[in-house]
This record gives sequence, C-alpha cells and structure tokens, in this order.
Amino acid sequence: MDLSLLADPVFLAQNLVDGLSRGALYGVYAMGFTLIFGVLDILNLAHAATFMWCAFVGWLIMAAGGAPLPLGLVAAMIAGAAIALMLEFVAFRPLRREGADKLSSMISSIGASLIMVSVAEAVFGVQTRRFPNSVLNPKPFFIGGAGGVRISRAQILILAASVLLMVALGLFIRKSRMGKAIRAVAASQKAARLLGIDVNSVIVVTFLVGGALAGAAGILVALLTNNIVPGMGNQIELRGLAVVILGGMGNIEGAVVGGFLLGLVETLTIAYVPGGSDIKDAIAFLILFIILLVKPNGIMGRGKADRA
Amino acid sequence: MKIAPWAVAAVVVAADAYLCVKNPQDLDRLLINAMLALSAFATLHARLLSLASAGFAAIGAYASAIFTIKLGLPVYLSIPAAVLACAAVALVIGLPVLRLKDVYLAICTLGFGEIVRVSIILLPGLTGGATGANLSTGFAYEAMKKTQAWSLALALAFLCYLFWSASRSKTGRALRAIRENPEAAETMGIDVVAYKNMAFLASACIAGLAGAFYAHSIGSLDNGDFKFNRAVDILGYAVFGGSGQWFGPILGAGFLTALPILLRDGLGSSIGFLKDFAQLPNILNGLALMLVIVFAPGGIAALFVRRGERRATGPAKAMKLDALDVLAFAAVGSAARDSAARGLSAGGPGTFLSLSGVGRSFGGVLALSELSFDMEEGRIYGLIGPNGAGKTTLINLVSGLLPPSAGKIEWLGREIQGRKAHRIARSGIARTYQNIQLFGEMSVLENVVVGHHARIRSGLLAAWLRLPSMLREEAEARREALGLLGRLGLSGLAGMEAAKLSYGDQRRVEIARALALQPRLLLLDEPAAGMNEIETAALGDFIVDLKRHGVAILVVEHHMDLIMAACDEIVVLNFGRKIAQGSPAAVSRDETVLEAYLGRE
Repeated sequence: MDLSLLADPVFLAQNLVDGLSRGALYGVYAMGFTLIFGVLDILNLAHAATFMWCAFVGWLIMAAGGAPLPLGLVAAMIAGAAIALMLEFVAFRPLRREGADKLSSMISSIGASLIMVSVAEAVFGVQTRRFPNSVLNPKPFFIGGAGGVRISRAQILILAASVLLMVALGLFIRKSRMGKAIRAVAASQKAARLLGIDVNSVIVVTFLVGGALAGAAGILVALLTNNIVPGMGNQIELRGLAVVILGGMGNIEGAVVGGFLLGLVETLTIAYVPGGSDIKDAIAFLILFIILLVKPNGIMGRGKADRA
Repeated sequence: MKIAPWAVAAVVVAADAYLCVKNPQDLDRLLINAMLALSAFATLHARLLSLASAGFAAIGAYASAIFTIKLGLPVYLSIPAAVLACAAVALVIGLPVLRLKDVYLAICTLGFGEIVRVSIILLPGLTGGATGANLSTGFAYEAMKKTQAWSLALALAFLCYLFWSASRSKTGRALRAIRENPEAAETMGIDVVAYKNMAFLASACIAGLAGAFYAHSIGSLDNGDFKFNRAVDILGYAVFGGSGQWFGPILGAGFLTALPILLRDGLGSSIGFLKDFAQLPNILNGLALMLVIVFAPGGIAALFVRRGERRATGPAKAMKLDALDVLAFAAVGSAARDSAARGLSAGGPGTFLSLSGVGRSFGGVLALSELSFDMEEGRIYGLIGPNGAGKTTLINLVSGLLPPSAGKIEWLGREIQGRKAHRIARSGIARTYQNIQLFGEMSVLENVVVGHHARIRSGLLAAWLRLPSMLREEAEARREALGLLGRLGLSGLAGMEAAKLSYGDQRRVEIARALALQPRLLLLDEPAAGMNEIETAALGDFIVDLKRHGVAILVVEHHMDLIMAACDEIVVLNFGRKIAQGSPAAVSRDETVLEAYLGRE
C-alpha cells in the first residue's frame, strides 16, 4: 500500500467522487434487476443484454441522429422498457403459463441474452463506438482550483440522474397504487390474485420499469466510459449480481446501498492497493461469494434467500 | 418401438458423420462437446443450474497443460491429475453454495467462470497469461495427437457406461426423485444435499476431463476459449438434448455442433450472407434454448420415453390379500421389529415418540403452541381438528421438514427436533402428504422402490461394476415393492406413470411408498381424501392391519367414521393448541371438542 497517497486528501476526495458515480450506475442497473427478481422470483439474465442494446439506441439517437442528451436518455429508457416487455412475452410468460419452474425461466433468459448479444454483434460489429464531443463536453470541472478534485460533466449528469431515478422508484413503489400492487404480487402472487389484482398486468409494469432502469443505466454507463461495444453487458452483469446479493435479493434500497458500496470498494482498491486494477474484476465475485457464505440475505437482512 | 426418436438420432449421427469425414479435425471438437454436455447434464439432472462447466474445463485444460509442460508428466498422468484438481476446486466452491437456494448456485457459477478467466490472466508465469499457453512444441503433444480421437472416444464411451449403469441403480433413482420432488425425496430417506454435491462434483470432473483433452487436442490455450458464451453453449447442448436421460446431451451436442456448419456449407452458396455470418452458431444456440424450454422441456431425449402405458383394465382395485402379498406385507412388520432389535430405541420404555412443549410460528403467527403428548408403539392415534388447527404443521415437525420454534421431540429416546428429514426417515418415521407428492413422471413401481433407498446397500461402485449383489438387491426391492402394491390393490398399475393415476390411487401409492421405508411410525395426512366410502372403509381395515404388524400410526383425517373405527386414541387440536385427548368415545362426548366443531349454541 502506498502510504504517501493516504495522506493526500485531494486524491481521496477524487476517488470518492469517481467511486460514487460508478456506484450510482451499479445501483440504477441493480434496481431494475432486483425489482424483477423481487416480483417474479426469477433471475432475468437478459438484463445485461437489455442494458447493452439501450446504450446502442442512445448512441444512435445522439451521435448519429444528433439528438440532445435528455432526449437520448428518454429514448434509451423507452427502448429498455420495450425490450423488457418483449422478453416478458417471449421468454417468461409462455413458461409461466406452462407452470414451469424457475430454472426454466433462467435458462430461457440466458437463451434470449445470447441471441440479443449475437444480433448486436452482427448489426454493429465489434468495433468500439464513441460519442462525439458535441454530445458531451469532455472538459471537466475542478472543485478547489486547477489542482483540485476533477468532476466531469458526465459524472454530474450520472449522479443527478441516478439519484432522481432512485427517489422516483422509491416513491413509485411506496406511494402509488400500482406500487402497492407490485409489492402485493411480490409478497404472494396467489394472495394478490385472490384480492382481485390483475397479476399479469402488474408483471408487465414491473418489466417496463425494470427495463427502463436497465436503459438508463446503459446510456449513463456509455456516457461515462465512452466505450460502446456489444460485449459491454458482461462487464456489468457480474457486478449487478454482486450488488443485488449484497443488498439482498429483491430489496430495492439494498440495491442502491450495495451499488454505492461496490463502486467505492472497486475505485478505492484500484487507487490504494498495488496491482489493484488487475484484480478489480475479481472484487465483485469475491464480495458475492463472501456475502453468500456469511449473510445470504444481504447486508440489509431482508432478501429472499432462505437456506434450503 | 417408436420410429420418430430413432429417426432424429439417425439424422444427428449422419450429420456428424458427414462433418467428420469432411473435416477430421471436427471429430475431436464433437467428442469434447459431447463430454462437456454430459458435464452440464450431471448438474441439470439433479435440478441444479450450474454455468460452471466452462470454468472447470478451463481449469482442467490449464492444469493438464501445466502438469505436462512444467512438471513433465506424461499425458496419461497429467489428465487424471487435472481432473483431481477440478474435483478439489468443486468441493471448495460447492460445499458451501449448494446449501443455498438453487438460484444462488447459478449466480455463483456465473461468477466462477469469470474468476477462473481472470486468474488465468493474472498468473502469466504459469498459464502464459493473456497471450496463452502453448503445448505444441512439447513431446507430449506429438505423442498425444496421434492417439487423440480414439482415446477421446474411448473416454466418452466409458463415461456413457458410467451414466448408464448409475441410472439403473439406487443413485439414478434417487437423482430422478430429487429432480421430480426434492422435498418428498428427502422424506424418503434421501440425503438431497449430498446427492447434489455429488452431481456438482461429477460435473466438475467431467468438464475438467473434457478441458484436459481439449488442451492436448488443440495444443495451445487461450483464456478466451472458455468465456461465458462457452458456458451457455454447453448448457444449450444439455437442455436441447434433454436433461431427463443421460444420452440426451450427447444427441444435443451432436445436433448443435453440426447444425451451424451444415447450414453454412449447405445454404451458404445460395444465401450469401450465411457464408460469413459468425454469430450464426450463437443465435441458433439461443433459439434452441428458448424453443426447447418452452415447447419441449424434455428435449430430444424425451421423445424416447414411453409415457403412461400399460393401463390396467378391469376393477382390480379392491384391497384383497393374496399369498405373495401377505409375504411382502409381513416383511414390513418384521423389519419394524428388526429395527427395534437393532437397538434404535436406546431410551427406556415409554419414549417411543414424545412431544413436549412443541411450538411453531410462521412470521409471528402461532401455528402450534405448547403441544405435548406421547405416543406408544403399535397404536393408532387420530389427529383431528378444524382447518388451520395445526395438524399438517405437526406432521411436518415430526417428519423433520420444519424445525420447531420451541419444545422438543423425542423419538426412541433421542431428541430429533432440527434433525434433517432424511435422517428422521431413516430412523423409522415415514409419511404421506395432504397434497399428494408423488414422483409424477416415474412409474408407480419406481415410486415405491424409492422407499427402499435407505435399505439398498450397494452404492455407486457396485452399480458401475454391476455386481451380482447389487442386481439381487434391486430385484428384491422390486419384488417387495410389487408385493406392497398388491397389498394396496395396485398390482395392475405398477407400470403406469404415477401422475396419470386417479386421486385415490395416488394416495394409495403414497402409502405403499411410505411403507417401503419399513417404518415403525407412519404419519398419514388425510389418507382418505378423494376416496369413496367403500375405499375409506377398506383403508381403515388396512390401517388396523398395519398396527397388528407392529407399525404405529398417526393419522390426520376428516372422515370421522375412519377415525372412530380405527383409532385407539384421539388428539384434538384447535388454533394450534391441544384441546382434548383420549379414547374415541371420550373425545366424542367432550364439551370443548363439540364446541370447537359445532360452535357454541
């Protein structure tokens, strides 16, 4: 460990800013993922592929079509919702009708994910796509003068948009009528049906919201890394899983907290641990494995994991 | 014999033969894919969704390469050593994770593949890092290359034999039972977690073997050979081929390996863009996964399975005794006495089954509280009470499916609360279910033979060697099971698929299956539900007969005629509490009981 770096407050602050903006993205991605798990009790392993496609849709609209950023964000979210809806009808609903088990749903979503990524490779090729400077001014702001903490416009946008989405989702789930219905279905589909809730339409809304969040995460990650490739979902898939396990499967607040935690841990490891950038891909897995062993319900203790 | 499945198999074989004749290099690939498919099958068959096969193949490949290059081991040693390395890793990963719900295994194995890949890149000294390892200069590679295809084919054939012989033994039956209904399997004395561990371990070893062959077949390794897509391919082979029969994944691998190449070669000339459509195999694989899971969950192999045949004709359902049946039936009683003689009852007399202060709550709702009562050997106890009184909860507590939240349960002098259900079943407590929990896709006979699981001593090794003792035990178990079925008037239905039976028949199969455990205590949860009056009366006689053979019975029932006629003692529950206990006559006069049932006037 490099001790001289520890004493440098600007370096630490810089890493906190970077870690928080990275974590915010993990949080947005994981919220959608954990929402779908919470309601349906199935792992949607095509969430990362949805995320990737939305990044491409945002890029197409902004870089190729010249649309402004807010429009790009909205378009990506709409695309995400549409893709998730398609997944529900093609990959999940037919299985629910057959009364198939959760294993089948997972396998079906793996198949869907493979198709989505392959089609993206066929359509967009494997070369990296980038935003032109006209979309996102790369010149960062500095807090505390020229030698101070650097924060890019993308990071500001990411933090603002993420917090907004987190608050909006929280309000939607807690306060709205549909939010209540979603929580009821999550608790027990059977009981919800008996109470006259249209379970299928609640599930559709869940997919729409979860997909829109994947879309937002897709475009925001694209803006941060400026590196759009068909394989970009792989980078976030495992991290997303680690975050939802950390926060407790199906727990939305847990996903937010877990997202920020993982973002900070990754960034600080790269900054302070020698060779940290080499092992950064392994951190998510280590966290995942340790939490599963020690506290399978997640750090908030309200996940759906019961020991068998 | 059905034509369609054999036609499918013939097409797959023909396509693969064409492939290999055209390009001999493809034979290695085909055989390795088939091996990897078997590895995925091993987990899927036990109802585990594992995506770890590609990761274990990577470990096997690199380990065997390292053993060959760095340690100079000959190939025939480095490959088994690589398999052992995979086994060690599988134990470390599997033991903790398999105790969790299966969704977590999927998650963990997803991450596992990635961690293997990262480790390979991080250890350049051993693995060649990001640039890869090269074996092709070594002596071993040259020696190996010549023998590659036939040694691979031999290894695959050997694996097929192991799967075939295991599937015809107690191990295969236990795995099928777990696949159909893990909870019922556990209460039939099957250690579900141990079997799942075994399946995971087998899967890892087979994947490692395939990976080791891959290393020596290709001669160079790259960390990208085993990325996530590969894991999905492997899963695709097993799902498409079918996870019900061991030959399914081999057909699946044969089909999905050949299909994209044949499409490209066959149609590439007429449909131009197919020629260099690199994503075609992946897209076909993805489609195969989704289509099969939705439209044909059993995969190709399911075509081969005869379902619901040999329906008995005529009313062969009356519960009658004949000579053979009496023999088998007497065995139940004598076994019960045997297990008593074996000293299972370490405690003194009077502690057959004893509940003291037992309670169970579900999220703050008390389903049972402060329940105490004793059962004596060889008597019939009725457990009655209004709906929601806690009767089924009590049965779940005694059979070990649920741990009590308070109190203790003593069985033959030992406390068994919190003990695993399969151990309780093995110690002589069998049960049936209110909602029938048969192994639906297995035959009636096989359902009952599952009950013999704990008693069949021949393990996996005996099954692989097909020892005469093992074959004898199997035959004996079938004979006894047939006897039990006869005793319950089900002889004519032995070959039927259990799920196709009528409700009342299914209940009787459950009783036969429970009796096959040779229990000293039988817990019956509403055994007469769905039976008509005549059948119910016959069931009552049957229960009384069981008692004469030394089996104690706790029966939950709403048919009061049955309870009054058969029981020696009745326990009445209401709102989770015992409100009365005593002889049928006494209980039927009891004020509190009448009030609970009929309400206060």
